[in-house]
Amino acid sequence: MRRSDLGEFEELVLLTVAVLTPSAYSVAVAEELEKQMDKIVTTGAVHSALQRLERKGYLDSSMGEATKERGGRRKRLFTVTTLGSRMLHSVKSIRDNLWGKIEPGTLPSLNLNH
Amino acid sequence: MSNPHYHPPKWLDKLIEMLCPSDLHEEVLGDLHERYHYMAVKKGSKPANLRYALEVMIYLKSTALSRSKSKHSKTHFAIMIKHYFITATRNIVRNKAFSFINVMGLVLGISAFLLINLWVDDEKSVDNFHEHQKDLYALYLTSEINGEVFGDYDIKEWELFSNRDVWLAEELPKVIPEIKHIATYITGYELPWGYPNTFQIGDVKHRLEGAITGNDFFKMFSYPILYGDKENPLTNAKTLVISEYMASIFFENPQDAVGKTIRYENTLDMKITGVFKNTQANSSLQFDYLISWEDAERLPIVMSDNKAPTFIQLHENADPKLVEQKLRAFDDSRNNPAYENLELGLQPYGDQYLVSKFENGKPTTGRIEYVRIFSGVAIFVLIIACINFTNLATSRSLKRAKEVGVRKVIGSSKKYLIWQFLGESVMLTTIAMIISLVLVSVALPAFNNFTGKEMLLPIGDLTYGLYLIGIIVLTGFLSGAYPAIFLSSLQPAKVLKGLARFTKSAKFFRKGLAIFQFSLSILLLIATLVVSRQTDYIQNTNLGYEKENVIYVRVEGDLVSKYHLFKERLSTKPGIAMVDRSSEAPHDMAFEIAGPFAWEGMEEGRQMSFKPTSVGFDFLEMMGLEIVDGRGFDKTIPTDTAAFMINETALRLMNLDEPLGKRISAWSKQGRIIGVLKDYHTHSLHEPIKPLIVDVKEDLNFGIIMVKTLPGQTETALKSLEEVSSIINPNYPLDYQFMDLEYAELYKNEKVVSSLSNIFAILAIMISCLGLLGLAMFSTEQRIKEIGIRKVLGASISSIIRLFSKDFLQLVALSFIIAAPIAAYLMKDWLQGFAYKISLSWWIFALTGIMALGIAFLTVAYQTFTAAKSNPIKNLRTE
Repeated sequence: MRRSDLGEFEELVLLTVAVLTPSAYSVAVAEELEKQMDKIVTTGAVHSALQRLERKGYLDSSMGEATKERGGRRKRLFTVTTLGSRMLHSVKSIRDNLWGKIEPGTLPSLNLNH
Repeated sequence: MSNPHYHPPKWLDKLIEMLCPSDLHEEVLGDLHERYHYMAVKKGSKPANLRYALEVMIYLKSTALSRSKSKHSKTHFAIMIKHYFITATRNIVRNKAFSFINVMGLVLGISAFLLINLWVDDEKSVDNFHEHQKDLYALYLTSEINGEVFGDYDIKEWELFSNRDVWLAEELPKVIPEIKHIATYITGYELPWGYPNTFQIGDVKHRLEGAITGNDFFKMFSYPILYGDKENPLTNAKTLVISEYMASIFFENPQDAVGKTIRYENTLDMKITGVFKNTQANSSLQFDYLISWEDAERLPIVMSDNKAPTFIQLHENADPKLVEQKLRAFDDSRNNPAYENLELGLQPYGDQYLVSKFENGKPTTGRIEYVRIFSGVAIFVLIIACINFTNLATSRSLKRAKEVGVRKVIGSSKKYLIWQFLGESVMLTTIAMIISLVLVSVALPAFNNFTGKEMLLPIGDLTYGLYLIGIIVLTGFLSGAYPAIFLSSLQPAKVLKGLARFTKSAKFFRKGLAIFQFSLSILLLIATLVVSRQTDYIQNTNLGYEKENVIYVRVEGDLVSKYHLFKERLSTKPGIAMVDRSSEAPHDMAFEIAGPFAWEGMEEGRQMSFKPTSVGFDFLEMMGLEIVDGRGFDKTIPTDTAAFMINETALRLMNLDEPLGKRISAWSKQGRIIGVLKDYHTHSLHEPIKPLIVDVKEDLNFGIIMVKTLPGQTETALKSLEEVSSIINPNYPLDYQFMDLEYAELYKNEKVVSSLSNIFAILAIMISCLGLLGLAMFSTEQRIKEIGIRKVLGASISSIIRLFSKDFLQLVALSFIIAAPIAAYLMKDWLQGFAYKISLSWWIFALTGIMALGIAFLTVAYQTFTAAKSNPIKNLRTE
């Protein structure tokens, strides 16, 4: 498993899917990310990330129910696969490791919460 | 909870549906609409719409344009295209003979189409390059003489005005303020019309063609002046502008010409005020010099006939209809009692080249006819090629039926199959187009040569490129549509079981196409035969005089006063049989006038038009003219200088019972009729023989001197002519014409048309035969076992050929039955344009029929023969 297989945005999307399961689909993911990141996140960008992730095997999908807002169209619901889960864990452990190794006071302090 | 007022823009949805893979439509549109809905509820429809557009764009960027496919995609478009391409290539390569016939048919069709269209475009471009094009008009004059209505762009000023000093170009602007500019263009200033004039600087003498015109000419027409006065080059008397070519004859650098003096016709010194760019090939006016109109009446040459084509430019917002009304008012008001029923008209300048023939006094036809006919032929030939393709592809299709069956079973939709086969035909058409372009560029110089044009293949031109692509797509679709629909609708179950057969209607359709194709070819063939027969006829018909071995020169310079000396000297020189003169070239007598004639017993108030000509005493003998009544001119009889002869047509129209000795007058000359000439053709055979009046005048200062040479001694005769001419008329370079060649020149159009139709009829027949060959190949291939069995059972080769050719020959025969009456009708119409014409005899049709049948039979028989000769065991063994 190569590290480069997961881009930053893809990582965020993958995490959000994990958060939203069992009702993770592109609109929900986009809305959640928009809330978290406080900037415009288009469904298109999310959708294509989801597709990439699915192709890489980190996500699985199935068609869900249709709603009125969607004009009677069904949504595609995503769940994280074992492979995806392993990927997320490995990324997290790398990050945690690195964070743990930073000496206190090395990073310039910020006025706002980090 | 949903708000019915909120709806995302429909066109954006359409865009998604068009560009996104179809399996994604549902989820993508669902996502988009859901998001839109939230946004609209939160912030209203305007921001929601904006956001929606953004979302759609992002979608398109990520899904459609980057072509990232979801793994749920069912069709792999790019892979399929590649696959189709491979299949098509394999099919082409596997059936080399068929592919060759198919592509060749298209190549011939497309090449013919391109060539004809080049010609047609070139014809249409003539006189259509002027900046003020839309405001330019040519005037024409309609006149009625004895109930006959004539029309001409050559305005006969003497009919309009009894006063010879009044000119239309000067009168019209006074009464019609809409006219911005007006210019006459006078070449037929003296008989014979439009001869080249002699110019001289120092020792350099040269003959060039040009005209007399007004200062407005350069303001109206876009003939750029390179050096000299660009605004008003022709305002003063005795000035002229010359072409770059003419300048280069007399000066080292063309710009040196400006301001210099040049001698005109050895009579007048003129100042060169400008040098203009050589006239381009698609200008109907071709001139090397233009002399100022101010000079016209001051030039010391005799005006024998003042005909003047006149062009006008209207003010930009002027209404041409109103101007035409004012023209009518003008010709009603002018005062010439001799010509009552005159009418001036306007014709857009760009049309006067193509529409130059007058019917009932109005310009209606002309070369435009040929442009139309050949545009039609071009389309015909292309259609024939398309049909060829359709027929071959359809008959081949059973071979590919299995492929279709398998594709369908795997899940290909009818739509995809149609696109596949259409794509293949477009691909073949593209190959054919590339070969055609090579072919056309190779053939173009020869084509230019015999059409007398300077056409180029505008291959780098973007519009032409688009036009070519348009032809490819159209031809590809036209020829591929039927096979594509036919193939894609085969039922896989039947096909895979090997039960595919043509239905009755499919067979009928294919036969129909073949019949249509052959009908067109036969039509073209008949037309070609008729046209070339008629062209032959007019060139070789007995004109009533001997035009062979006659050279003529113009009466000019010292030849006017020294004619007798010239005749005497030249007659004794080697190679010369006879010398005489005439006021008009006998093969091309254009001058026709009604006013000045009267005769003993003429009805009161009658006006009859004659073609007058004044000749020398030996004219009749020299031209070999026959006398039917009375006698010819005789120089030993002194009164014969006042004698007249008429032709049979004149006699008939004059209502004279006993013409000999009757008094007759032409202008101020009075005399008696001494003889009647047998009718001879005084013009091209387009025109019926007109009444002719001939007298003797050996001292005229215009006309031509004709020299009859001894047969086979033309070169010696020319040397003699050169020698005598340079002594007697040293100021004019010798300029001679051969009468038979000039006569042939009258039929230049017909000759071009005849050669063109020859080529295209042959092409059409070739394409049709290629098609027939293909059909025959297919049919023998399909029935090869039948042939084998027949042979085993004892059938002879000839009986097999007979069996197989019968079907095809029936098709050709039926085509002939359809084509012959249509051809007869069309050709009858075409022949109406000639006063003297061949009859549409039955043998022309019989010949075409036999030819078509013969060619078709040979094609089919060849193919069947090969099949029938092959060893039946080989054909029957395999299963």
